[in-house]
Amino acid sequence: MTGDDRWYEAAFVVGITNALNVVADGLAGAAMRPVEPTTATADVREVFTDIRAFYGRGDQARGGGEIPTPFAIIAHDPAYLADVWAAVKRVFTERRLTRRHKTALAFAVSLTTRSAFGTAFHLGELRRLGVGERGVMEIIGVTQMFSSYTKIADTLQLHSDMADIAPVDRSGVPDSGTG
Amino acid sequence: MPTVRLRDASEYPEPARRLFELSRQWFDYDFKEPPAMSRVMAWDPHFGGPHGRAMKRAMAPGEFSRGEKEMVAAAVSGANACTY
Repeated sequence: MTGDDRWYEAAFVVGITNALNVVADGLAGAAMRPVEPTTATADVREVFTDIRAFYGRGDQARGGGEIPTPFAIIAHDPAYLADVWAAVKRVFTERRLTRRHKTALAFAVSLTTRSAFGTAFHLGELRRLGVGERGVMEIIGVTQMFSSYTKIADTLQLHSDMADIAPVDRSGVPDSGTG
Repeated sequence: MPTVRLRDASEYPEPARRLFELSRQWFDYDFKEPPAMSRVMAWDPHFGGPHGRAMKRAMAPGEFSRGEKEMVAAAVSGANACTY
């Protein structure tokens, strides 16, 4: 394991977060109903149960907790759902980066891309994982300030100062020692 | 090529150059010239000053570490398709 592992994990979080947001937000107004747990096939219900457990939504006595929209929509293709869910679960499982840090990344990227679904979903996840209002505000602040810096840099077409030092891991990102 | 001519540190007045020293400490790296963004922000200290302070408040360790926040900042930059 090297320092690059953390950046691969972060990149995968960003990618799969965007993938879920695209489906949830893009199809929000479309005539495509999510699959209801009560009418789902056995293999889909099995995945739904795993999703509920991962997001702490329990297995309520009648039908279980709510399934996040993007999963309920792609459940029309059970095999596809199973693969996407396996990827999502793998990416958000705590390894070199903690789950709360990964969720903070997902929240920041969702906010940056104006994803209504992703912003609300990952904000809920941050709170469920124990992040307080101060912590949420910290991520909002970082997101807002770097949304400013990036646009200033783009407008002035600035070149990166960091390119020459990028190979050196100076991030200070803590090593969780897992994975 | 940048849209503007980025001035060298020596072209800035003394108060701005003191800010460049704070920038060097923030990044903990000896750049040949202050980072481009630092020099841009120094162009208007009445904007760059409070903007920089807001950034440092946001990036300071709290519930999340500075390192975790740097990674969030990188992700936000990536989502904004910014290579800087």
